Amino acid sequence: MTLLVQTVILGLLVGGVYALMSSGFSLVFGVMRIINLAHGAMIVLAAFLSWWVWDRTGIDPLLVGVIITPVMYVVGRVLYRLVIARVHRIDHELAMVASFGVAIAAGGVMALIWGTEVRSATPSYFNTSFQLGSVVIPQAQLYAFAGALAILGALYGLLRGTFLGRAIRACSENRDSAALVGIEVERTMAQMFAIGAATTGFGGAALSVIYQFVPDSHYVWIGRILCVVILGGLGSLLGAALGAAILGLGEALTSSYVDTRWATAVPYILIIVILLVRPQGLLGGKLRADGARA
Amino acid sequence: MRRPVNRLRTGSALVALLALTTACGLAAEKPADQATSTEPIVIGMSLPLSGPVADRAKPGMEGYQYWVDELNAAGGLLGRKVELKVLDDSFDQQTAISDYTRLISQDKVDLLLGTFSSDLNIAVAPVAERYKYVYVQPSGGADEIFARDFKYLFFAQPATTQKLPDRFVDLIAGLPADQRPKSLALVQLDDPNTTQAAKLFGERLGALGVKTVYNKTYAPDTSNFDTIANAIKQAKPDLVINGSIAGDGISLIRSFQKVSFSPKQFYQLNTPTDPSFAKSIGASSTEGIFTYLAWSPEAKYPSNAGFVAGYTKQFKAAPSEDAANSYTAGQVLATAVKAVGKLDQTAIADWLHKNTVETVVGPLNWDATGRPQGDMLLGQFQNGKLQIVSPKSAATSADVLFVKPGWSGS
Amino acid sequence: MSAETSAPRRRVPKRWLIGLGVLAAVAIPFLTPSSYIHNVLILTFLLGVLGSGWNVMSGLTGYVSLGHSAFIGVGAYTAGILASQWAVSPFLVAPLGGIAAALVALALSWVTRRTRGVAFVIVSYAMLELLGLIVRNWSSLTGGSQGLLMPLPDWDVRFHNWPFYYALLALLLLSVAMTSAIRRSKFGLGLVAIRDDEDKAAGIGVPAPIYKSLAFMASAVLVGVAGAIYGYYVSFLTVSTMFDIVLSLQVVLAVLLGGRATVWGPVLGAFIIVPLAEVTNTSIGGVDAGAFRLIMFGGLLLLVTLALPRGIIASVARLLDRRTAQAGARLASTALPVAPMSSRTLAPGTDLLRVDGVTVQFGGVKALDNASIVVPAGSITALIGPNGSGKTTLFNVIDGTYEPAAGDVVLNGKSLAKLDRTGRAFAGIGRTYQLPRLFDSLTVLENVAAVNDRFEPRRLVHSAVSGAEAARATGLLEFVGLGEYVDAAATDLSYGQRKLVELAQLLMLDPAVILLDEPAAGINPTLLQRLAELIRSLNATGRTFVIVEHDMQFVLALADQTTVLAHGKVIASGDPATVSTDPAVLEAYLGDDFVLEPTTGPRP
Repeated sequence: MTLLVQTVILGLLVGGVYALMSSGFSLVFGVMRIINLAHGAMIVLAAFLSWWVWDRTGIDPLLVGVIITPVMYVVGRVLYRLVIARVHRIDHELAMVASFGVAIAAGGVMALIWGTEVRSATPSYFNTSFQLGSVVIPQAQLYAFAGALAILGALYGLLRGTFLGRAIRACSENRDSAALVGIEVERTMAQMFAIGAATTGFGGAALSVIYQFVPDSHYVWIGRILCVVILGGLGSLLGAALGAAILGLGEALTSSYVDTRWATAVPYILIIVILLVRPQGLLGGKLRADGARA
Repeated sequence: MRRPVNRLRTGSALVALLALTTACGLAAEKPADQATSTEPIVIGMSLPLSGPVADRAKPGMEGYQYWVDELNAAGGLLGRKVELKVLDDSFDQQTAISDYTRLISQDKVDLLLGTFSSDLNIAVAPVAERYKYVYVQPSGGADEIFARDFKYLFFAQPATTQKLPDRFVDLIAGLPADQRPKSLALVQLDDPNTTQAAKLFGERLGALGVKTVYNKTYAPDTSNFDTIANAIKQAKPDLVINGSIAGDGISLIRSFQKVSFSPKQFYQLNTPTDPSFAKSIGASSTEGIFTYLAWSPEAKYPSNAGFVAGYTKQFKAAPSEDAANSYTAGQVLATAVKAVGKLDQTAIADWLHKNTVETVVGPLNWDATGRPQGDMLLGQFQNGKLQIVSPKSAATSADVLFVKPGWSGS
Repeated sequence: MSAETSAPRRRVPKRWLIGLGVLAAVAIPFLTPSSYIHNVLILTFLLGVLGSGWNVMSGLTGYVSLGHSAFIGVGAYTAGILASQWAVSPFLVAPLGGIAAALVALALSWVTRRTRGVAFVIVSYAMLELLGLIVRNWSSLTGGSQGLLMPLPDWDVRFHNWPFYYALLALLLLSVAMTSAIRRSKFGLGLVAIRDDEDKAAGIGVPAPIYKSLAFMASAVLVGVAGAIYGYYVSFLTVSTMFDIVLSLQVVLAVLLGGRATVWGPVLGAFIIVPLAEVTNTSIGGVDAGAFRLIMFGGLLLLVTLALPRGIIASVARLLDRRTAQAGARLASTALPVAPMSSRTLAPGTDLLRVDGVTVQFGGVKALDNASIVVPAGSITALIGPNGSGKTTLFNVIDGTYEPAAGDVVLNGKSLAKLDRTGRAFAGIGRTYQLPRLFDSLTVLENVAAVNDRFEPRRLVHSAVSGAEAARATGLLEFVGLGEYVDAAATDLSYGQRKLVELAQLLMLDPAVILLDEPAAGINPTLLQRLAELIRSLNATGRTFVIVEHDMQFVLALADQTTVLAHGKVIASGDPATVSTDPAVLEAYLGDDFVLEPTTGPRP
């Protein structure tokens, strides 16, 4: 019983980390229909920055994560202006390929700057846990979980409660009509892409504390993010959170009760199962794309 | 009436192309034939300088670098200077194969030296064998590499995975029955090196009455070790043997710390010899961890102290095991070439099969398949330092900690 | 990805150039003894085969795969396992590797039958990773992480790589021939149609699921064979080499660089990428070599997408091919040609199409509420009503785009409920759209020739631009007045001309009922008149029309009967004169000052 309870708790906490990593990605996809494969590289970049500042100054890496959020915002803005804005109008899949080019090159740049050694920030709490009876709750994961809730909540509030949010949603539903009612579509898009990038600040910081990472780690993370987002329904924030929880739980339960070697297959199996059962994802609405065009 | 003209043009273009290619082919062959004794000897290799094991390949390359510098300072090989030609295979088997094929058939290097990891060596060894090039590999001891009965393949460590458990199992066997661990957890990365070693550990310790209560393999992409650590904790083993390759071993220890589980004995493959190991988990948490070593900076073999001192001077850091392994491979090759007195691959291979080479990992000799006939060292972290505890002849610490203290900070 | 490559721009390099290239490739092993050069070419051929396969799935059909190297893995492992179990040469069982890869592709097309766009990209990646993990974990069969040893080649070392070299060269030539054949066939047209607009394609009788399955299998089969040979060449199979994500990415880069949806693009790309990778492998040295290579590879990918999104071949072709602009839009004002006969006409007066009590609900809104209409054979039925009254929704129910919550659609006495869009197209439903939907990468002729009135495997191999099909399509284009535009790109047409092409598509389909959705909207008066003439002359051959229209003068002059929709309900039905004076209709829609003029345009 302890095994089960502990497994579920660990799985949910990992799900929190996944939700944290995929929230910005989901936002960008939801509005712009762009699969930004450089999202993983941005997370790893933020992880390097957090680790580096922590290593030099001793400032708590999670705190650094909050501080570098504006840095990641600027990175997103630049990436959008230099690359994404140029290709996504031609072709969404092309934008995806271009973003992947960015991810690969970014891996190389990070390797030049920080080397390929395995890195990890180790503040006092990195390997400690809260004890609840016979069950443990790892501290760093709990903080990441809280961060995920905060960021998802903030993004949700942004979308529902602000003018920018309404503009974003208008663009997401119909770009041409949004332009007609006076929304500056390009600017809204750039803004939104940059906000998506900004979420990687804290995500990367959490990564640097909870896991070890190297420049190439972005491949692993983008794989999981894609799974989470497909699972939850492309473009749905709430769906992404749900998808993250299911993936975290699925991996943990598979690892404990089926076989550890199948744990890494869980994301891919989930993707295929969800497509067979419910192609639009758990919370993705049925698109009226075809009818709307007719 | 256009066709005949076209055909004519096609024909003459083809002739020109043939002539050109033939000329190039001939031109490319000449230098090799006319190599004179004043030109440097070129030794080719392809290392995983990028990709997932890049951080271990870099010291490996520096080990080779140091070996060549030292060799040239002492007059080179056969009176000629020695040059390295190093390619990067980014830990990709096909690239490694391609690189070694290039080194042999295009660059026509004089000698080869091996690459890192079992994964790459298992792919490259057949290429060297096919072209009859002596291939001394510094790292990657999966026994199956040697199961193909190659004549030109040699391993520059004291033993393959086949004999890896020996020292530790002997140590356990030497304990009174009531002090031996009762139960064992085996947890290993899915890799030719580690899965085979784990299997042997399970069998050998099982014969001593140690019951395996947990035995799982995890995939190379695994990043969440918390659930694995928790499942092991629930299985309550005395002894944990972790077949790790690199960072995965550190991740597992961190997860053990998080779920507050510290086994009585803990043996880990490969990871503890990584230079960043102590820093990654905290020096005090290393206490009592067992591992195997192919080499030790303290070992009293003739060339060892000079290597450690010289390398440290040149690279401003103590050599890692990987650096020592490539240095060893260089020593093996150079000794054989000097003994044979010419760059004759078959003669070099024959000589190595018959003779013993003194290296920084001790005297090495090989059976017909290239398997070395020695034994690994057994190491244990004591007071933040990796000490050799077995065999007695090489031991740097007389004591063995049979009960690992808990993790620090948990 | 919507590469813009239409048939006339397809520029086959001069035959002698191809011949020369092939000869050179055949001769090289005799000319240079360097195994290294052979090795580089072997890898180039492999990437070329992979690229050609990728091109069929991702270039022509538009389903972008990020996991194509999985087919190499499946082929290699199939051949490797069978060769060791049956103790035969891997060359002998290589074709079985191809079959296994094709079966995996078939499974992929089934799993993704409802998945498009970026979701498909992700699934293709998931397929690669999952297959890799299955092979890794099924270690009793595959050797798992220990790998699978293939026999070492037993021929003399002098011929070391020759069998691999020639086998892969042959596969590459076969791949190119296959792509070229597909590109010229009616099957290939269907694939491009699916890429441009899958729903529209379904509506003109392109059965997307069948086409996709076939395309996926064609995309995988030769790759599987090549994988088997490659595995034998490497002599040792591991998951990381055989299910290699890097190779999957390289192939995307190679084909994008060479030119998507072109026959020679993948080959060109392979011949650039592999040697380039080799040069950088060997020329960039030092401990940071890996980082520089990543930057270079990523930068190149970025550069190609930014600077050459259509690839080298299309860009060069465009430079060479500054085609003279089409002559100005001008309709032949000559007398109308004789309308082609239909093979589907029924005795006039029988009930051809019946919509029975159909209800469609979007959220809380009833778009259609128990709506019924009856369309007699040989009639013209006008469907009118205010915006949002459910007219287009009714079309969407009839052609199978929407599944109604209640009610049924009956054609010729048979319910259509169980048929999908393509099934209904074959059964006899054809429609146009408010905004005409053409396949923009195809020419006008290809747009019409892509239509199928039934599925026949035999027809897939028919030529798309010559032969009987093309002749019939040309005739229909002449009938609608676009005879001079057969070779124009669909994108070069005016809005009104696009509507005429859609009409020609329907005549090619030759359905029992033709549904026209606002044919008169947005076109000039001359064309309007022409359209009315066309409809009348087609109706005179016995064809049945249902027309949604806001131009009352236009539609009521044509119609034999009129149905009025408001808020999803049928509020009136009958002959135009009666309906146009119905007080309920006047109030809901026409306005009380509406007066129906006797006719628009002369009767033929």
